[in-house]
Amino acid sequence: MENIIIEGSRDTYFIPSVNFELHTGICEIVGESFLEDTIDFYKPLMNWVEDYIEQEKRPLAFIIKLTYFNTSTSRCILDILNILKDYEEAGGEVVVNWHFDENDIDMEEDIEDYIQDTGLEINLIPFQKK
Amino acid sequence: MQNMINTQELLDLYNLANNKTLLSYTGIFDGQILSVIAENIESNLAQNPNASRKVFKIFLELAQNISFYSTEKQTNSKGKVNGMGILILQEFEDHYSCSTGNMGNTEMLKEVIKKCETINILERDDLREYKRKLRSLPASAKGGGNIGLVQVALTSGNPLAYKIIPITKTDSFYIVNTKINK
Repeated sequence: MENIIIEGSRDTYFIPSVNFELHTGICEIVGESFLEDTIDFYKPLMNWVEDYIEQEKRPLAFIIKLTYFNTSTSRCILDILNILKDYEEAGGEVVVNWHFDENDIDMEEDIEDYIQDTGLEINLIPFQKK
Repeated sequence: MQNMINTQELLDLYNLANNKTLLSYTGIFDGQILSVIAENIESNLAQNPNASRKVFKIFLELAQNISFYSTEKQTNSKGKVNGMGILILQEFEDHYSCSTGNMGNTEMLKEVIKKCETINILERDDLREYKRKLRSLPASAKGGGNIGLVQVALTSGNPLAYKIIPITKTDSFYIVNTKINK
């Protein structure tokens, strides 16, 4: 297994920055997510998390700091969170931190909906937009 | 000069996009256009970050629906096929209004209208539950969340206005309008 590093950009589409680090088990998704093919982008990330769980069996920290994601991304996020929940139920150690703009009430609601959907404990971490 | 729009038609079009209009666009809804318009919305509405964020989100959802589901297609310079449609963003004293229109298959649009009706009768908490229910269903082939319109209604906080106008035997023009409070 190798790290996944994707530099985010805002060009024809909005690509989030991704940093999945094998050594620390810290997985970060940051930025905006509006992609040409959402599943093409997220499938390798899901596979990575599954492989990490299966092969490494170590604690995993998932950090989301997305200021915008479209609804097809929202489904991929749900899939990842469900994988994490299954890992936790199987005895794995999982931490999910979700950073959001303190003024973005819609985002806060979205995160609450994910908590309800997955049963995962998600730490809501508000930040002040510069 | 049969292939040229006459001046009166152009003036009518211009007047139609009256002084309330911040942005109007007709044509292909591909990734490039979507990101340019989204960035334009963001910078134009920057003085009101809350409304700006909402209009940005709503525009992108409605626009992606057009690129996926419009039955009028065009191939862009990169060889990608995308739907065509129209967008009008207007500013009023206490709200913004975002309207989109596109051609669609009438049978499919009837399902869309049913969904709009459901969305409009649901209270916010029930609408959130409805979104969660739709999101847990298998994704459509295009990877769409199947929940774009629900998300639009949740983001806007206002009911959707919508209409379909039959054009051909199989296709209709579909218009959806949403209001974003300032």
